Amino acid sequence: MKKKKWSNLYLFLVFIFLYVPIFYLIFYSFNAGGTMNDFTGFTLSNYQTVFDDARLIGIVLNTFMLAFLSSLIATTIGTFGAMGIYFTKRRRTRNALLSLNNILMVSPDVIIGASFLIFFTFLGISLNFFSVLLSHIAFSIPIVVLMVLPKLNEMNASLLDAARDLGASTFGVIWKVILPFITPGVIAGYFMAFTYSLDDFAVTFFVTGNGFSTLSVEIYSRARQGISLEINALSALIFLFSICLVIGYYFISKDNLTKKQKRRLRQQSEAREIL
Amino acid sequence: MANQTIIAFENVSKQYDEDLVLKDINFEIEQGKFYTLLGPSGCGKTTILRLIAGFTEATQGNIYFEKKRINDIPANKRKVNTVFQDYALFPHLNVFENVAFGLRIKKMSKQAIAIKVKEVLRLVQLDCFEDREISEMSGGQRQRVAIARALANEPDVLLLDEPLSALDLKLRTNMQYELRELQQRLGITFIFVTHDQEEALAMSDEIFVMNAGQVIQSGTPVDIYDEPINRFVADFIGESNIVEGNMLADNQVEFVGQSFECVDGGMRRNEPVEVVLRPEDLTITSPERGKLVVEVDTQLFRGVHYEIICYDQAGNEWMVHSTKKAKVGSKVGLFFEPEDIHVMRFNETEEEFDARLESYEEE
Amino acid sequence: MKKSKWFYSTPYYLWLLFFVITPVVMIFYQSFFNIEGNFTFENYQIYFTSGTYLKMTLNSVWYAFLITLITLIISYPTAYLLSKTKHKQLWLMLIVLPTWVNLLLKAYAFIGIFSTHGGVNHFLEFIGIGSRQILFTDFSFIFVAAYIEIPFMIMPIFNSLEELDPSLISASRDLGANSFETFRRVIFPLSLNGVKSGVQSVFIPALSLFMLTRLIGGNRVITLGTAIEEHFLVTQNWGMGSTIGVVLIVAMFIIMRLTNEKKRKGGPLSK
Repeated sequence: MKKKKWSNLYLFLVFIFLYVPIFYLIFYSFNAGGTMNDFTGFTLSNYQTVFDDARLIGIVLNTFMLAFLSSLIATTIGTFGAMGIYFTKRRRTRNALLSLNNILMVSPDVIIGASFLIFFTFLGISLNFFSVLLSHIAFSIPIVVLMVLPKLNEMNASLLDAARDLGASTFGVIWKVILPFITPGVIAGYFMAFTYSLDDFAVTFFVTGNGFSTLSVEIYSRARQGISLEINALSALIFLFSICLVIGYYFISKDNLTKKQKRRLRQQSEAREIL
Repeated sequence: MANQTIIAFENVSKQYDEDLVLKDINFEIEQGKFYTLLGPSGCGKTTILRLIAGFTEATQGNIYFEKKRINDIPANKRKVNTVFQDYALFPHLNVFENVAFGLRIKKMSKQAIAIKVKEVLRLVQLDCFEDREISEMSGGQRQRVAIARALANEPDVLLLDEPLSALDLKLRTNMQYELRELQQRLGITFIFVTHDQEEALAMSDEIFVMNAGQVIQSGTPVDIYDEPINRFVADFIGESNIVEGNMLADNQVEFVGQSFECVDGGMRRNEPVEVVLRPEDLTITSPERGKLVVEVDTQLFRGVHYEIICYDQAGNEWMVHSTKKAKVGSKVGLFFEPEDIHVMRFNETEEEFDARLESYEEE
Repeated sequence: MKKSKWFYSTPYYLWLLFFVITPVVMIFYQSFFNIEGNFTFENYQIYFTSGTYLKMTLNSVWYAFLITLITLIISYPTAYLLSKTKHKQLWLMLIVLPTWVNLLLKAYAFIGIFSTHGGVNHFLEFIGIGSRQILFTDFSFIFVAAYIEIPFMIMPIFNSLEELDPSLISASRDLGANSFETFRRVIFPLSLNGVKSGVQSVFIPALSLFMLTRLIGGNRVITLGTAIEEHFLVTQNWGMGSTIGVVLIVAMFIIMRLTNEKKRKGGPLSK
């Protein structure tokens, strides 16, 4: 089919477009020449430099530590927050809570960064790891709520009544019924919060002080000084890490297809046939 | 044959990945009749509908519409329209625009569209609902919009995919009458898919009973009810008492250790068979006058009749529908006429069944 | 349940109070103070009277519009074609994957690609056009911004196409529409919500991407975000920075208003 060929070509071009810069970066990480222009020879010395750079390794560890901690705390607060919203009976209150929740989701990073900076300065909190951690927790909470809430809404409310009926306490209901049911949403929320934290540049840039730096901030300041193939090597490593995560995630989600989804897939493939 | 064949299936099979959902289907559908495809879920009845509509392609075989092969004709070029199970009403369009959808595609003039939409909405008793949003309509109303939308295109054949399954009992019964009346008024062919045997019996001119990708039996509701071809059909349509028996000779069958006169024949001597007796054909009398003696086990009041469960001495269960009460624990006699006994052979196909019926009825 | 709810959601409500409501209030509050810390309206006065700020705002909106338009033009067909491929979950993953590569790294890659002796100029020389200045131009800023935002436009559109009930497409075909008409009358209108949320999630960041204007735009392009960063972290004029922040917040609400779906009367389609 000719139509199919063109659509595949288009998708192919988009994928090329999306991946060329990344592979360009990785390709030159093996360059002995020291620039991203001429490939003079193959070397692994850039990687060697990364592993020898104690400051950079420290920053990488800091970044992961920050992501791990902030998403853990954000997931806890956000999950219980989602339950709070779920059990809010009044529609207006619930909608108001949701709107407030979404403010940080749609706010530009600079606004979040600038307003947190004003806030921290006002309270006299010094700008260091702690202020960055607080900010990361703050901007990760709404995404957790948004991942958990649909799962709660999916839950059959009579499950809760049944648990109460069978004698479960509030804690028992949460622990034995709600949490097991919403676990996929909680995990997804944690995952998103983690990537949000890893990815963030602007907010951290505003609220960090001299003593603490994350990978994004470090790359920014190095990139402003020009090209250093050490960054290329680092980006290759990060990319590899992302791919491993994606592959893992793909296989987890693939096995989770329900019967209903399969039927839907079949219907969709029919719809494809007739178009 | 006065009526013309409008749709014909010739050796049609359909395979999804590994599962064969339709196995070598052959049938003809005549103009102007109400057909029902009846069977349990997963029997392939909806697949037949989708093949006729053109939403999916047959793996093998030919599908004819007015004698022309239509396997390769896309859905939008076929003169059939579908009422979907979940109605598939466009959520971004209101009632008027949903019904007008097909007409706008045909580039009809604005006035013509307005007239036609009004007409079909009146047909389904939804006048004055044009400006409503779909989300404001109840289940029954959506159902009518879906029918109106399909009818607006003036199809030769209307396909209905379990359209009543989402409605409550009362509404469903009303819609059965309405659909039947609509079909007779319009005079076009309806092909109706359902798993509800009462619906099928009430509405159809012809029923195709399906199971596991095959048409097991086709015929008028009365034929199918009175002469089920095998245990599956007997069980699926109506309540049945089915026991194993032996064909002693033509018009002579033996079951539960006794010999009975019957009206079936054309079988081998001493051929093992299954015997069906419908609960409403059994009458309760005294043990002396009954052809069978049973003990009453339980009794339920069903409104129009009592449903009485009895056991004979061999332990077979007999269900009786009776307007008179029986006494639980008492021994009673069951009486039935020779015509009430229906004998079914094992593994008989529909052709063999029809051939045998003709052969001994002519004698 | 009622009492205990307040107990376990308390941290969340505290978060709402301290990290959502307070910061927004404070940025408003701060916008009424000048660099010496005195209460004043002069920030707003300067913003609306001196042409440079208004011009900068218009410029920023114009660039954000261009970036959004370009991403939309590239993303809609991609999402549509993606929704019709087999193994679409895998392909979608491949679209999402680049978003996990740090934004700064992508910007950094383009510094290399667009540089005077970089990949693109090599190519231009090879085909005989000759090398030219690409980095630190408006073009490079828009190009890189679009590159970064494309996955964020594809995803909501793809999701809205996926949510579309396949039987609606069957119904449309059944009623006589061909592929194109089905697209125009059913698929596109029903995917508009995806387009809207895509526009939302591209336009607002496009107003505020200050690191790109610094790294790729070479300070030639000043967006609202750049101006805020400049005032807060370079000139330390927090009052003026907050004023621009308020403008950005207002712009954000306008965008949200324009792109948020109108709630239909009555309940959602019941199943």
